[in-house]
Amino acid sequence: MGAIIYYLLTLAIFFAIYSIYAWGLNIHFGLTGILDFTYITFVAIGAYFAGVAAMGHAQPMGMGGEYILGWNLPFPVSPVLGGIAAAILAALVGFVGLRRLRSDYLAITTVAVGQIVWLVVGNQTSLFNGWDGISGVPQPFNSSLFHLSYNQYQIPFLVICLIVAFIAWRVAESLTESPYGRILRAIREDEAVAAALGKDIFRYRMSAFIIGAIFAGVGGALTVEYIGAFNPSGWGVLETFIVWAAMLVGGQGNNRGMILGAFLVPVLFTEATRFITIPGHPLLMESIRGMAIGLLMVLVVRYRPQGVIPERKRVYRLNLISQETEDSAHGHAVEG
Amino acid sequence: MSLSMVWLGVGFGLITASVLALSSVGLTLQFGVTNFVNFAYGEFLTIGAYLAFVLNMGLHLNIWVSMFAAGILTAVVAWLFNIIVIEPFTRRKAPMIILLVVTIGMDLFLMNGVQALFGPEFKQYNDPSGSILHVGGLLFTVQQLWIIGIAAAAMVAVHTLLKYSKLGKAMRAMSDSSELALISGIPTRRITQYVWLLSGFLGGLSGVVLAINVNNFTPALGSEFLFVIFAAVIMGGIGRPYGAMLGALIIGVAMEVSAMFFDSSYKTVVAFAILVLMLLFRPQGILPSRGRV
Repeated sequence: MGAIIYYLLTLAIFFAIYSIYAWGLNIHFGLTGILDFTYITFVAIGAYFAGVAAMGHAQPMGMGGEYILGWNLPFPVSPVLGGIAAAILAALVGFVGLRRLRSDYLAITTVAVGQIVWLVVGNQTSLFNGWDGISGVPQPFNSSLFHLSYNQYQIPFLVICLIVAFIAWRVAESLTESPYGRILRAIREDEAVAAALGKDIFRYRMSAFIIGAIFAGVGGALTVEYIGAFNPSGWGVLETFIVWAAMLVGGQGNNRGMILGAFLVPVLFTEATRFITIPGHPLLMESIRGMAIGLLMVLVVRYRPQGVIPERKRVYRLNLISQETEDSAHGHAVEG
Repeated sequence: MSLSMVWLGVGFGLITASVLALSSVGLTLQFGVTNFVNFAYGEFLTIGAYLAFVLNMGLHLNIWVSMFAAGILTAVVAWLFNIIVIEPFTRRKAPMIILLVVTIGMDLFLMNGVQALFGPEFKQYNDPSGSILHVGGLLFTVQQLWIIGIAAAAMVAVHTLLKYSKLGKAMRAMSDSSELALISGIPTRRITQYVWLLSGFLGGLSGVVLAINVNNFTPALGSEFLFVIFAAVIMGGIGRPYGAMLGALIIGVAMEVSAMFFDSSYKTVVAFAILVLMLLFRPQGILPSRGRV
């Protein structure tokens, strides 16, 4: 297989995975207005748990280092476990940060949790082999079914990613269009009004937070089963904001926009700049990329907060409203 | 054995508390007036630390002179930050959630900017004042005593400012209600700009003393310390400077005493545990809430 085709397949796989990430973060922020500043931590927890669940028992003094579980679980089970692990972390974080009707307290909690999880995963070598990380995660179905070389494995793995991404898309879309999604949008727009209508804000925000984290965890599981290895340098602060930038650029609140955002930011921008080398210290290009992502977030919310594809305006009408006011309300909504 | 270790931890705790008091008062004052959390605040610390590095190593200035100058320069950075980045959003009354996204985006921008300029490797100041003094059975280096002295002086200055100056009274008025302050004739935009200057100055100073205290530092200096600052600020009640001082003292001492008994790389876990407990049980802070007048 040619190097270019191999590379394009790699990009396609990351495109699918980043779309899943963006849908999850969109459920957090775009749909519900939850400020999750450590989305990548949910990705990482999903990746680690799926990884160690798919790997065999850690050998004492073995090459793979130390880690927990080692259950040899087959493919569809290990990402489910990754999703569950991310969901449990989200429930804990949400329990601390979501109980008050203040969006900044959750944001602060997520920043703190990100730092602590990173620190504990790095220092507690017995969990996921510390700073060196886990490696040798088996490729789904490959040893049992396909028996392909690493290069040939690209195509079946892309198919797996597309299937998972399709399921994720269906879930995200049906959530967004359901009455549940409507309540989440109501909470995003005005918590007090939603509460006055008898909606349990904490329960809705908590469930949305958990569902978004499951997307992160499953996406993380796909990542680790593709790369085969995972360590703390793979989930730095920048990774969270690449997904944020993708979501903001694509158009928050809009699942179609997330696909575009995942293409424009993580795939096009990050990949295109990977081949630029400039003289200087080894992290110079990485730093400039970080500056660009941060600046991009600020510029998008400043000049085009609705993103490239704006969220569809939804007009709900009550039958009680007279025809005249209905028309004017409708005309206004279309105009706005 | 254990009692003397606790006492030793208290000594280190006073130094950490001093660093934390400077930084958390700077953050909480700005929150009180503008009513949103600045997630880029950690970068004020980092910028202060690197400005002092340039003055100290490049221009060969004394470390304390460098620190003071870096504080002033960081104040200017914070003032510009408000005018260039924040004001376009506050002018059109952008929701708080958007301001938080903006500040975290700027955090990423500034941290990577410092890293692009200075590189990721460890930096250290040239500071000869390393001789050791005995105070009350504790060992302090001269620079550590300086840090405690600077923080104490800054706290007295902040107290004097808030209590006796017209600016301080205007800040307190805005902290209670920005609208009422405006209709009482307080120039709220100008007061807000002063607050950013003050927040940047305290942030810059605390970044330098933090860098002195940890001995060598990277561009992640401020962002790694940010949630410890949050812990102190929330413990004292967000937006309340005296509470932040108290929170800084408690968390600083708790962190260093714990480091005497556990692996010291876990001392921020103590700050995290306190943050979680505060959010669960007393999110308004440990001080009794002020009555509505």
